[in-house]
Amino acid sequence: MGLIEVNHLSKHYQIAKRQEGLGGALRSLFHREYMTKMAVQDISFAVNRGEVVGYIGPNGAGKSTTIKMLTGILVPTSGEIRVNGIIPFKERQKNARQIGVVFGQRTQLWWDLPTIESFELLKQVFEVPDQRYRQNMATFSDILGLGEFLYTPVRQLSLGQRMRADIAASLLHDPVILFLDEPTIGLDVVAKERMRTFIKEINRERGVTVILTTHDMSDIEKLCQRMILIDKGRVMYDGELAKIKERFGKERVLIVDLEGEATDFSIAGAAVIKQEGNRMWLRFSRDEVTASQLINQISEKYEIKDVTIKDPEIDVMIRHIYEKGMDGQADYQQE
Amino acid sequence: MILEVIILGTFKMYGEFSRKSFQRAAAYRFDAWTRIIGNVMFLFMWGFIWYGLYHGKGEVEGVSFQAMLSYILISQALQGLHGAGTPLWEIQERVRTGDIAMEMLRPYDYPTRMLFSDFGSITFYFMTAIVPLYTVLFLVLKPVVPTSFSQGGLFVVSAILGYLIRYCIELTFGLFTFWLVETGGVEDIFYFAISLFSGSVIPLWFFPGWLEQVAGYLPFQGIFFVPNSIFVGQLTGQAVWDALLSQVIWLLICYAILRFVWAKASMKIVIQGG
Repeated sequence: MGLIEVNHLSKHYQIAKRQEGLGGALRSLFHREYMTKMAVQDISFAVNRGEVVGYIGPNGAGKSTTIKMLTGILVPTSGEIRVNGIIPFKERQKNARQIGVVFGQRTQLWWDLPTIESFELLKQVFEVPDQRYRQNMATFSDILGLGEFLYTPVRQLSLGQRMRADIAASLLHDPVILFLDEPTIGLDVVAKERMRTFIKEINRERGVTVILTTHDMSDIEKLCQRMILIDKGRVMYDGELAKIKERFGKERVLIVDLEGEATDFSIAGAAVIKQEGNRMWLRFSRDEVTASQLINQISEKYEIKDVTIKDPEIDVMIRHIYEKGMDGQADYQQE
Repeated sequence: MILEVIILGTFKMYGEFSRKSFQRAAAYRFDAWTRIIGNVMFLFMWGFIWYGLYHGKGEVEGVSFQAMLSYILISQALQGLHGAGTPLWEIQERVRTGDIAMEMLRPYDYPTRMLFSDFGSITFYFMTAIVPLYTVLFLVLKPVVPTSFSQGGLFVVSAILGYLIRYCIELTFGLFTFWLVETGGVEDIFYFAISLFSGSVIPLWFFPGWLEQVAGYLPFQGIFFVPNSIFVGQLTGQAVWDALLSQVIWLLICYAILRFVWAKASMKIVIQGG
């Protein structure tokens, strides 16, 4: 049995239709028409203890709706959820004690007070024993470098510092599961890297199960063994990232810079997809020809100045899945 | 024994909110001081208005000018304290931004946590602004003050009840934001009712008979009018106990309404996502 079990989960919202014009406005005072928005439709998955799962999808795909249902602040329209044996919306407070939640776009810290005060407040709220609190603070300060801004008011922190403080705050009470909603949004490269290292570390050292939503594919590449891809409220893919790469990553692009003009350029096993002066973009499939074979062929006819091989980007692969589904042909263009 | 530990733990947790709010208020000392300036300005305004109205008269409706002055002073002091809590617009803002929904992820009761937060900021304001300022004012102006410990004690009880009544009403009005797109109307109703029917600036005994009767049937008189009247000695004997009883009843009713609205609001959050 998984730590998190989601079965045939759906969430439909009733949205009041706005009627046009003055007459419509008056009519809607007395009678409102509603339309149903299906935010999540028949989603099922299970997450095991110790996993790091990336929950991915375009804006409005239903990511946040799912996270909200898992945390218990949203009631499903139908289907079942169990988080460590608890039905979240029925025992929201009990569930709150075993999960940590970070929403990248908002903070759980007290804006006007030094950061440490928010930690102390959470210590009381979750009744963390003194010794455990000190241990956790020591560990988090160590990895996240909280020490440099513990006594600075939250409103004066940089976004990176605030996110670090927020994630530490969500872990003070030793949750079993950590939900991260866009934990790296808006961070610079260094801050992102630091955040990822920390997430990896608490997963490895403490066995905390992590579910994270993100738009940054490098988060997924560096953190998640598994990803669940959703779009329009449905699961499009659930599995290893490696499999996606396997399936859609066979095609690569070889970029060659030639000495002199290349006329009537053609090479067996590769297609020219772009040409700019002396620079050629060649698409080839790993199954048919190797990169070195290609380079050999080319160098027999032309003088090569420089060579680059581009791996397909995950973003591109994923966009492809959104557009064509898992079974669609991998005929996307590299960008 | 176990129950005691739980109660003590819960109290400690909510108490931490009071402490943090106290610290936050201290971080915004300047805000407290500017607020006290506004408070004093209103005090002088009402003082002069009543001085003018009383000019040449010894007593009006059996109330001396000294008692009326005392009424205004204690009313302004209490209003200052009430104002140090979370204002209506901030509650509305928290509903709009979804901050309240996020607090449902915590193992505590939101209305209780808000109340304890307000205790913190009020205590700070009480100690640093209200007490020093009004001690001086009372010493200088020498208005009517409670003449016995029991009168003073009953005033304190009544003032606390009044505070809790206003807290329940204000939070309830704030929670209406969940159902409204435009909340200006709610704000207007709230501030109108608070300023007129609570007796904050005009004691109910000066109201025309019918309006006094209307006010008597509303919860707002329990906020300022009852404690103020006890303070200046206009309510005495059995009347004090009757007034306190009506405050308790109104508090229970307002609290029940708050819980009902909060339950509805929570349902709305979890069904419609706030």
